[in-house]
Amino acid sequence: MYDQTPSDMPTTTRPANAGSSLNDNASRLDGPAKASGRAKYGRDMYLKDALYVGFVRCPYGAAVLKDANTDAAKSIPGVLEVDVPLGKEGKYHGHKMGEVVAESPLAVKRALRALKCTWEKKPVKTRITDTVTELPEPGEKTAEHFKSAELTLEAVYTTPVQPHSCLETHGGAVEWTDDKAIAYASTQGTSSVRDGIDKHLNRPQSEIEVVCEYIGGGFGSKLGGPGKELTSAATAASKYKRSAYMFDSRSEDQTDTGMRPSSQTLARIAFKKDGTILGGEIRTWGGTGVAGGGGGCNVPSGRYKLGVSKPRDGHKDVTHNGGGPMPARAPGWPQGAFAEELMVDEIAALCNMDPLVFKRKLASEDVYRDMLDMGAKMIGWENRKPNGSQTTAVRIGYGIGTASWHGTGPGGSAEVAIHPDGSVEARTGTQDPGTGTRTMAGIAAASALGVPLSVVTVRIGHSTLPKGPGSGGSQVTGQIAPTMMNAAEHAKEQLLAIVAKAAGATGDDATKGFDIKDGVITRNGKPHLEWKQACEKLPPEGITARNKGELDPGKGGNQGVQFVKLSVDTETGVVRPLHVVAIQSCGKVIFRKGAESQVIGSVIQGFSNALFERQVFDRNIGTVMNDNLEWYKILGPVDMPKIETVLWTHGQTGVRGIGEPPIVATSGAVACAIFNAVGRPVRDLPMTPDRILTAMASAPTGGAKS
Amino acid sequence: MNRFALAQPRTFAEASALLTDKRYSLPVLKGGGIDLVDHLKEGLTEPDVVVNLRRVRMDGVAPGSPSITEANGKIQIEAETTLTDIVNSPIIREKIPVLAQALEHAASLQVRNVATAAGNLLQRPRCWYYRHSQTECLKKGGSTCFAVEGENKYHAIFGDGPCHIVHPSNSAPAYMICDGVAHVASWGGEITLGQIGNERTMLAERSIPFGELFHMPDKGVRSENNLKSGEVITHITCTPAPQSGFYAVKEKQSFDWPLCTAYVVLDFDGAKIKSARVCAGAVAPIPWLLPKVDEALKGIAVDDDAALRKACAVSTEGAKPMTDNAYKLKLLPATIRRAVLIAAGRPENTEVA
Repeated sequence: MYDQTPSDMPTTTRPANAGSSLNDNASRLDGPAKASGRAKYGRDMYLKDALYVGFVRCPYGAAVLKDANTDAAKSIPGVLEVDVPLGKEGKYHGHKMGEVVAESPLAVKRALRALKCTWEKKPVKTRITDTVTELPEPGEKTAEHFKSAELTLEAVYTTPVQPHSCLETHGGAVEWTDDKAIAYASTQGTSSVRDGIDKHLNRPQSEIEVVCEYIGGGFGSKLGGPGKELTSAATAASKYKRSAYMFDSRSEDQTDTGMRPSSQTLARIAFKKDGTILGGEIRTWGGTGVAGGGGGCNVPSGRYKLGVSKPRDGHKDVTHNGGGPMPARAPGWPQGAFAEELMVDEIAALCNMDPLVFKRKLASEDVYRDMLDMGAKMIGWENRKPNGSQTTAVRIGYGIGTASWHGTGPGGSAEVAIHPDGSVEARTGTQDPGTGTRTMAGIAAASALGVPLSVVTVRIGHSTLPKGPGSGGSQVTGQIAPTMMNAAEHAKEQLLAIVAKAAGATGDDATKGFDIKDGVITRNGKPHLEWKQACEKLPPEGITARNKGELDPGKGGNQGVQFVKLSVDTETGVVRPLHVVAIQSCGKVIFRKGAESQVIGSVIQGFSNALFERQVFDRNIGTVMNDNLEWYKILGPVDMPKIETVLWTHGQTGVRGIGEPPIVATSGAVACAIFNAVGRPVRDLPMTPDRILTAMASAPTGGAKS
Repeated sequence: MNRFALAQPRTFAEASALLTDKRYSLPVLKGGGIDLVDHLKEGLTEPDVVVNLRRVRMDGVAPGSPSITEANGKIQIEAETTLTDIVNSPIIREKIPVLAQALEHAASLQVRNVATAAGNLLQRPRCWYYRHSQTECLKKGGSTCFAVEGENKYHAIFGDGPCHIVHPSNSAPAYMICDGVAHVASWGGEITLGQIGNERTMLAERSIPFGELFHMPDKGVRSENNLKSGEVITHITCTPAPQSGFYAVKEKQSFDWPLCTAYVVLDFDGAKIKSARVCAGAVAPIPWLLPKVDEALKGIAVDDDAALRKACAVSTEGAKPMTDNAYKLKLLPATIRRAVLIAAGRPENTEVA
């Protein structure tokens, strides 16, 4: 089944990735519904007679709520409840302080405005460097190496806070009826919502359904239970025995739904002129907002044999007046990779080495070397000019980034039902946050059953379905593909037994010689019965089969290499992304277009991280100035590079998710490409024109000892 | 968003009358509605009547007739012409390329399809302190310009404050260097509701050269333009400038506010520049004329890159950058130089494959 022999690698004589997957041609099953607006998201659930909840939030980085005109808010028609805790201190912009419950969204807004809260502002910290004011002294060994080495590099790399910026904001709606409560959640964990919401609804779990058919983006921020929005809606629903709704506004989504923490990486590396690394140390800091932890920064990653490690106390999380983190697409990995890739390129440049040669040499696994060789050809690495050697106003840069990811453990459950009319249902309680899970699950069922995808209806995102995994850690495909295939195989066995019996075959091995291929039941390799005719023989209730036991997704890791080609206008600092080659492995590919889309989406998000994304806190009052999608910038259509994906199947076994791994590589590759073009490293994300112009005007750093 | 009345005047006179109608305390004009909706959503404006100008034409024009015309050496653009119509107008593309190029870079196609010529000029600044409901800045009656000690990367490098916005429109600097004039109308008499219908006789008209349309913050920080209460822009006129060009530096190439823009009109004597008019955008609270650069460009051949760069470098004289926007000192001369080359029909190739 899923561990079948991988296809050959794509070549230039046939379309990229052809033959790489179980289904090369399938398009997203929910594409038409989403494109036409027929798909209803949680945010679309404006229920009859519903109540609406709004949050009173701290507008500053730190402030005490001194006064509020509660009477004015209560007097707004339709307002049922105003809860404002005077004297409470808000610790970040967006910090939830109180609540308003009203009959309409408009009444909520008018009540929040009528409060005219008075705040006493407090001093704020908005950056890691507000706390970490000086860098620690190098360790003894590092100091030794720095004394004797031919060349050294001491550099600080930083990345900013990046909110998840989901298109559908966070929240949920509760439909309250006498016999049950249905929670329409925008969640990455349908089952975790039910487990978290029962006590707020004050109803037994048997009377609670969680529905999450469609989600407009999550990136990790919609994991971990119902969230404060749905919790508040549930509480209001329970109290008033009415349906209730709470979804964040854009500003609320940008400030209080989790974020990718900021990071700072200090690298001190001693090396020889030939690139031999003698030693050194790497220290990291994570800016975690008000949360005390979760700011990891994964460097060194192990993808390169650097011979440099992080001391035991080498990572520190630092608080500031911002919202706390939530897992953000490969939490901690892109931050570390940005520092690591640029650092390695800086060492290569100081040694006058081609970074391709250097990274090939340092690579910890052969698969990286193979990927580097393939990508170099595809991007045209031979056209790369040495760092800083170009003299034209607009210069081309090439850069390399690498990615890895941990494997997948077993989990999840699934069910396949065959109806007497020949239609098939593939059921699992997981959800599809835009990743293609729905289609992947359908392909897994169809291919294991031997029928075309068109006869399969996929049921996901419902708490009454067999429990599925949360959409986190790139675990879902690794768990659901084998699980769904296993359920389908059991269903197939039952169907074939019925067909065999009808054909007069008896005994323990009655089904021997029977199989299903392309929707036709075969016997000894010859067509025996059409699918529909076979299903007519089923009992009225059809067949329902579950997976048996936990299915191991198989061993293996995800590896990736990305090549970026871009231009930098050295008079304006403007970067234009031109071309990206993204090579990624994920075991056996189930859904080709879906897997490619995950890689393409990662490249786009990674490029946005590299060039634009930054939560801007006012340094004095701590207010987020870009709590919108006007000033929180992401790559737009004109900025898109040509993106070529290669699904690397050579030597791959098992099946793994591909949602997170590819984003690890991108921002580092972009940093290396900018370094190549302008000859100076830009060590801070985002690499905006002002920073590029500043870096270009700076003196070269590191280098030979005097 | 608060409740408000939506008024649909048939003429500019009716619109003006509504602006001074004593039944309303906070009337606002709506062109395309782009900026207005932003204000309503953020709670920055709470009008009691929204006067919709979107379909209003000048008096006396036939329905369906073009809203951009040329006569007697002047080009006329009606106030409610969409930015897309300006960009696509053969008259504008041929006679005032600087305007077509500038508006082609404004916002997104969706916005340009509804945003209007007058609305583009009169939109409020995009300063994130002004736009944020939680910051009581000078523009909103507060006592502080938060940008001075705060996040001022996108703010002005010219001007003495006390407010440090940059002028937001892509079109005003183009009109500034093409002898642009804004024509405004206002209801001339005392308002009683029954009077509407005699609008033509009661209309007062005024022409404001673009150089006098906007004012610096020290001349009044709560507003950006010199229109009087009740005045409505009906149309804009300007002089053809076929040798003109525009260049913008933006972080993002899709739907972004520029970091710096330059507008140039040239007149040649053989290969040499006989006269030049240069205006910069996104660097000052108003469209920023640069007469010293105009002067420095005189007599220069655009081929002479050293001379051209020297002339453009004059542009930063008198600039007072803030903590985070000194990079604009590098952008400004480079942007002007590119615009000069475009105006001269010799654009620098900055696209690479």
